Formats: sequence, structure tokens, C-alpha cells
Amino acid sequence: MAIEIPKLPEHMHSGATRFIGRDVKRVEDPALVSGTVEFIDNLDIPGMLHCAILRSPHPHARVLKVDTSAAEALEGVAAVLTGEDARRWSNPAYTAPEGWGAYCVAVDKVRFVGEPVAAVAAENRYIAEDALELIRVEYELLPPLATPQAAMAPGAPVLFEAHDSNVVQSRVYNWGEVDRLFAEADHVVSNSFRWNRVGANPTETFGCICQWDLAENSLTVHGAYQTPRFWVAARAMALNLPSNKVRIVSHPMGGSFGGKGGPRGTDISALLSRKSEGRPVKYIEDRMEYLIAGFSQSWDRHYEASLAVKADGTVTGFKVRLIDDQGAGTEGWGTISVAKPLAAFTGPYRIEAARYDTVLVATNRAPSGAYRGYGPPPHFLVLESLMDMTARKLAIDPAELRRRNYLRPEQFPYTTPAGNEYDSGNYEAVLDKLLAMADYRGLREEQSRARAAGRLIGIGVASTVEPGVFDWNAYATVGVPGIGVPEGVKLAFDVFGNLTVVVGFTLQGQGQYTVAAQIAADYWGMDFNAVKVTTAATDVTPPHFGPGGSRLGVAIAGAVLGASQKLEDLFCCVVAHVMQTQPDQVELMDGRLRLKQNPAVGMSVAEVAGLMLSRADLLPPGVEPCPEATYVWTAPNRTMPDEEGRCRSYLTAANATHLVMLEIDRETGRTDILKYFIVDDCGTRLNPGNLEGQLQGALAQGVGAALYEEYVYSDDAQPLVTTYVDYLIPTIHEIPMAKKDFVVTPSPFTPLGAKGCGEGAMHTTPAVIHCAVNDALAPLGLEIRETPASPRRLWQLLHQAK
Amino acid sequence: MTTKQRINLHVNGKAYERDVEPRLTLADFLRHELHLGGTHVGCEHGICGVCTVLIDGRSARSCLTLAVQVDGAQVTTVEGLRNRQTGQLHPIQQAFVDAHGLQCGFCTPGFLMTTLELLGENPDPSTEEIKEALGGNLCRCTGYESILASVRLAAERMRAGG
Ligand code: FES
Ligand code: FES
Repeated sequence: MAIEIPKLPEHMHSGATRFIGRDVKRVEDPALVSGTVEFIDNLDIPGMLHCAILRSPHPHARVLKVDTSAAEALEGVAAVLTGEDARRWSNPAYTAPEGWGAYCVAVDKVRFVGEPVAAVAAENRYIAEDALELIRVEYELLPPLATPQAAMAPGAPVLFEAHDSNVVQSRVYNWGEVDRLFAEADHVVSNSFRWNRVGANPTETFGCICQWDLAENSLTVHGAYQTPRFWVAARAMALNLPSNKVRIVSHPMGGSFGGKGGPRGTDISALLSRKSEGRPVKYIEDRMEYLIAGFSQSWDRHYEASLAVKADGTVTGFKVRLIDDQGAGTEGWGTISVAKPLAAFTGPYRIEAARYDTVLVATNRAPSGAYRGYGPPPHFLVLESLMDMTARKLAIDPAELRRRNYLRPEQFPYTTPAGNEYDSGNYEAVLDKLLAMADYRGLREEQSRARAAGRLIGIGVASTVEPGVFDWNAYATVGVPGIGVPEGVKLAFDVFGNLTVVVGFTLQGQGQYTVAAQIAADYWGMDFNAVKVTTAATDVTPPHFGPGGSRLGVAIAGAVLGASQKLEDLFCCVVAHVMQTQPDQVELMDGRLRLKQNPAVGMSVAEVAGLMLSRADLLPPGVEPCPEATYVWTAPNRTMPDEEGRCRSYLTAANATHLVMLEIDRETGRTDILKYFIVDDCGTRLNPGNLEGQLQGALAQGVGAALYEEYVYSDDAQPLVTTYVDYLIPTIHEIPMAKKDFVVTPSPFTPLGAKGCGEGAMHTTPAVIHCAVNDALAPLGLEIRETPASPRRLWQLLHQAK
Repeated sequence: MTTKQRINLHVNGKAYERDVEPRLTLADFLRHELHLGGTHVGCEHGICGVCTVLIDGRSARSCLTLAVQVDGAQVTTVEGLRNRQTGQLHPIQQAFVDAHGLQCGFCTPGFLMTTLELLGENPDPSTEEIKEALGGNLCRCTGYESILASVRLAAERMRAGG
């Protein structure tokens, strides 16, 4: 039976919506504020050992000898794991493209500071760390490759012997007649940009408990996993286990933002469990490990880019050359971040043609990983900075320049030059609302007065498109196979008519359990508290992916609605049988299955569920006593990429425009954000409170990336950032409380018209802040094209200029 | 292994006597010896404030405090906030729920304890005073806006006797 998922809340035919779109209190919160949530380090399993990992102090070295005898002899130590064990029992991490992964413990050589060289399982963490000090490792140092330039230099040592160079991939995409448009342009605006490494830094680091059952040859893993099923498949491959013998129980997470853990902690604890006769082994990454080697580092980029522009400010072409420092291999899936910009390459603009020239390089920095946005935030910083440079060159107001280039409402659905389809939007309406809310003209006047008084005040306006609801095809160009990202739920009514929604992922902060409960409660006309959302282990949940790629709000809505509809059909059959009529004569309305012709006659949902479970004699022939249904949602109509990588990949295109006013202190180089405004359009807003939280939270991460955060490496590839004293997460003092408003252009393609929006402001904030910083510097003839625009960098710039 | 030292202390009003290694941190002691897992650990080097507890009424980093240092002290953790019998949330906890003051909730116990100290000393703090008090607590999820609103709401309700 075809399942038709309602495209707008008002199309839900089961009664008035009481929870969708309302600011419902989160079901997650009472336990979280009480401190009773089972984060992974709160779980103890009887007989459990604790793991500590010895990490390489060298960025590049041959491992000649690892002597673990003294560590093994220490009282309280159960097992010590070395590269030899890893070689014997496991495989290098699977990567895309293939062949750029390493064993979980270094075999033969280390390629980055922090790479595991041995690990200990002991009675407690203190003893495990004592034991690390007793392990002797002999290294032969190899030349460190600290930059892509060094790694690509002729004669540079090769990091991965299976390849003959350090270039992971070199690929040029051509979309349309780029050369002609540049030749015909009245202006070409070009520049280079440097985006330095930043990363997720959830307040909770990664943790897991692995238990290898030696009799069954199976592995059970409890831990902080964003995408549990995905991890099951990868562990089975890495650890030579049948995939149905790896079971992950995902625990609530203290944030993730894409960057949690990487594969090594799990594989090391698993092998330690195997080596200690199957005792459970807990590994809790500490913050220094996370910062140095926790796959938290993302986007290490060297850009050269240009716009082709007509005299009236119309931008016709966009060229980008990107050299991307992946670090020591691609086990953290950093390659995806280079592919993802294809989904929104030309942003919100009518740019006709584009070229993307990419070189992905392995170096001796830590392998890079996923972080909120997964690639486009630096890309948009480049595009928006070039837009501002164009505006300055042509003496057009930057907001006006953007307006002239926006896609128009009648152009949707719109296929971009890079091949993705944008579902809907009204960019000009967003801009208008923003400029009015901010009193843009007034701000510009204020700026002129302040400038006249010698103050460095800047204003930025930036617009982006957030690709929402990812599909694997978006990453096919870097070797990721497949189409379809399943998100499944099981709805189960019990004998009293209470409803349990089983999902495949766990809490991470976005409030998705609440969203699932809102939709289910509305569909079934139930009391919100009669719906319980819960998760289960990977071996029993329906296919799922979990949060990622701004998809879960949309995907979970689709899954809950799909399962509800299946179940409604079943309930209609049951009621029809009991009432001696046809199923199409029965409808669900406001929590009752009633006769269409005689609405006063019917049964409550609870009565139907109870009847199914306790009066099998009354069921129609062939109907099982099971008031449950499973539905797995995936984005419809995705296509395989063509030879230029063009495909329908991300299902939705949310849009936002931000406006910031800031001031740079000449004496300290410090930037103060004075005012911040956001107007966004992500279609139907399922839970406005959640959404507001996502926006403001992403704004804070964007401020960090734009002004403070950076993983600094020395010239010989030593990480200089090892604590939060060095990695500057913004505090409450640095973050502006943004004024926000929105426009609603529902997606015509998604459940209830919602668009992916979880990455939110991360796409726009770094760009708009850099635009404003350069606006502030413009009267001095200065410009910064490197992130972060930290106090130190701005101070140097201002003082060199003196 | 080092010799253990005996400590006596109160945690959330309850008396404990334990023998601990001198190097055991208060955070580990609370979490793994007393099984009070609500005090979380985010950095273990004193920056993030996730591990904040009250020691004799003053906020402190439990990751930088050794268990032996709290011998004789009164320690308050997040578990001490809600009503132990009824489970009813403390007004500060309720305000965080009502004003969306959390997302993942991992930093929240630290913010709650810092707020408890603040409102104990200053029932009607200005925005600047709230920011000053919370400046040592990192939150990676919320962007702080809703936390600020939660503290304001808690102050308001507590002044009204809630
Ligand atoms: S864990 Fe104590 S300050 Fe971060
Ligand atoms: S709510 Fe996640 S760190 Fe604050």
C-alpha cells in the first residue's frame, strides 16, 4: 500500500494539531537537569576494566620496538595492546577513497602526534595511566610534513605506502561555460583565503565500553555514538566480526556536532576486551586526547577563488581552487567535507557556471573529521567575502548586491550549476525582513558617525543556503557509495493504549525525541505524556542513521508519519470488522476511529489497541494481534551523480541572512559584537524552541570559528593546542544574543514542509563576521583573509600598518 | 599504589566516611566512589566548569580539587537540588526546563550549581552580574541566550517565593 506522507501540518487528516509548531517543553529535560541521565561514563559493568592509551609524541616516525613487559607486570594491569595485536586481529580503518586508513594502534609507523602506539586495560584509570609510563617505545624519526605544500613537494616521503604520493584526490569539476563567462566579465574579483582548523568540541568527550564475548565471538559496545548502525558496519569490517555479531547500545551524548571519537577508541577497547578474556573495557577519552587526536579537527584549507561580474553587479561565474589538508589519512571521513559544497556551491545566487578544482592532501597533522556543516562554512566564507569585495569595487551596497543576484521565488525548484535541486525559497523576503528588523540604514548612519570619530565599526550582511537532509550520493565524488539514508521508527501501542516510539538514535541535544512525540501525539490525538520515545540497540531497531547532515527533524517526521499511517490502516480494518462495515468507511479523527457516516459511533485508539491485544477472537481473518508498525523513511527521488558530480543530493535548501555590527579595538585587536540579527527560512517550524536553540548554538560556534578557535600546529607538525587554555571556546561574554525572525516557505518535497536546519547559523556566522571585520578595516585599506580573525591576528595587522 | 587516607564529609547533607588515595580527584570520588554521576567532567583542567560543585557553599571545580581536600566539608552536587522524596525540581532546575536552558544537558549541572551560588548571594542579579557569574562555565550547545533567560526566570520565581 502506498504511504502518502502529509506535506503540511494542515494536511494531517487526524484532527487539529496541538503540538506541532508549538513551543512544547522537551521530554528530555527533567532527567537532564536532575543529573540522572546515563551518559556513558555513568555506566559501570561488573568486572569492568579501564583503558588508557599511549600516544605518539612524534608526528612522523618509524616504530622500532614497543616494550610492554614492565607495564604488564604492574599490579592491577590486565592486558596491554600493541600494534602487533592490531595487525593480527584487525584491519585498517575503512576510508573513502579507499586505502587511506590506519590500524587502531600504530603498526610500523606513526603519522601524527597523538596516534596510539599501545594501550592498557587495568583495574582503574589511575593504574592504567601509571602503566603507560612503564611502556618503552623506540622510534626512528622521519621528516614531518606539516603542510600540503610540504607533502606535495617533489621527493617528499610518502605517508601511506600503498600510494605513490600524498595526494588523496585531485579532481576538477566544470559546471557550465566558466571560461567564457570569465572572458566576457566586466570585472573579475579574485583572492586567496586561509581557513584554519576548527572543531566540534562537545562538552562530553568520546567514551565507550566494549565487551568481546569469546565464546560467541561477538562484540557488545555501549557508548556515545551519533550514528550507531553506521558504526556497526565499520566495526565488523575493522574487527573481522560478522556484522550481526556487533551490537551497539548508544547512550545519551553530551553533544556531538559530528565530531565524536573516531573509530580508534572503540576498536582499541574491543581488542583489549578480547585480550583480557572478554572482560568489559571502558575507555573515556580525556580532553587532551580529544584535542590532539580525537578526530575533532576539521577544515584545513587554502583557497584561491574568483567571481566573474558584470558592470551592473550581476555575478555570472565562480571559480574555486581548494587545497585541503586532510591530515594523516581519511579515517575521520574528512574527505566528505570537500564534496559537500557541491550541494550548494553557488549559494543563494543565480550564478550560471562554476569550477571547483580540488586537491586533497595527506600530511602529518591529525586526521580531520566531521564538524557541524561538514564543509560548506569555509566555502561560504569565501563566496561571501568575494561578494563583499565585489560590492566595494563596484561601490554597490553589499545588501543590494546580494539582492540583485538572488534566485527568485519563481525559479524554484531550481537546479544549480553543480546539479543539486533547491526545493523552495524566498530570499528577498528574508533580506527585507532582516534589513527592516535591524534598521539597516540607521546602522549605516551610526557607522559613518562612529568612523568619523575614529572608531573601527564594521557591518556585515551575508546570505547562505543550508543543504538539508543529506544523501550519500552527495559524497559519491570522494568514493562514498550508495543512495538512501534510512531513518526508521517502530510505533507500538500497548494494551492500555499508551504509545512507545522506538528510534535508532539517542539523545544528543537537539530535542528530537520531543519532535517525534509531538508528531505522534498529534497524529493519534493523544495526550503528549502518553507517548514515550525510546531507543534500542542496533540489532533490534529498524534501519536508521541518526542525526547528521541536517536531516533528522525531517527524517523522523517522515518515519513517524509513515508508521502512523500504516497503523491507522490496520486499525481501520479492525474497527470495520468489529462494526461490520468496510475499512474505507472508518477514519481516525481526534483520537478516535469512527464511522465516516456516523461520527458518533467509534472506538478510541486505546480501545482498538486493547482489543487487538486481548480479543484475538474479534480480529478480522489474517490480522495479527499486533498494534505495531515500522516505517523507514528516506529522501525520495535522489539520483546517481553524472561525470561532473551533478545529482539531486540534499533534499532541502534552507536559507538565512545574517547581519552583524561589530567594533575592533585598535589597541588590543579584539572584536566586540555589538548587534546581531538573523532571519531564516527553513520551511515549517516543527518545534520553534528547538529551532531557536539550534540557531543560537550554531551562532556561538560560528563566532568561535570566526574569531577565536584554531588548532595551531608548529612548522614541524607538532600540535600546539592541547587544552582549553589554547583552544578558545567562546564564553557567555563573547556571544551576542541575536535578534531573530523568520519567513516560512514550506518545502514541497518533505514531510510537513520542514527543511533541514540543524547546522543553521554555522553556515553563515563565520562569513558575516569576516565581512563585517573587513568592512571595519576598509577605511584603513586593510583586509584579513584568514580565520580566525583573532585578537592577535588583528593586532598584528593593525600594528604592521602603522 | 599509594597509602589511602581517611576522609569524613557531607555530600548533599548525607555523611560519608571513606579511605581514598591522595591523588583521587573530587570529581572521580563523587562519580565513581559515591556513584553521584550528575557531576560531569568536560576537560579535567579547570576551564570548562562542567564539574562545578559547591564546597561549603562556594562554587569549585571538582576536577581540580582532590578528595582529601574536602575532609570535613559540606559538598553540594546537582543530586542535592531536587526534592529527594517527591522528585520535584528545584526552581532553578524548573526554570532551565521552562526556558530551554539546555540542549545536550552535559554542561547543565555546572550551570545549575553556579546559579545556585549566585542567587544565594544576589537574588536579583543584573544581566551583567549573571554573565560575570557564568563566565567560567562553557556551553557548546546553546549559545548561552537561553541560559541567561533561565537564570533570570529562576531569580524571578525564587524572589516570588517559588
Ligand atoms: S572538568 Fe573541571 S573545569 Fe572542566
Ligand atoms: S547544553 Fe550541551 S554543552 Fe551546554
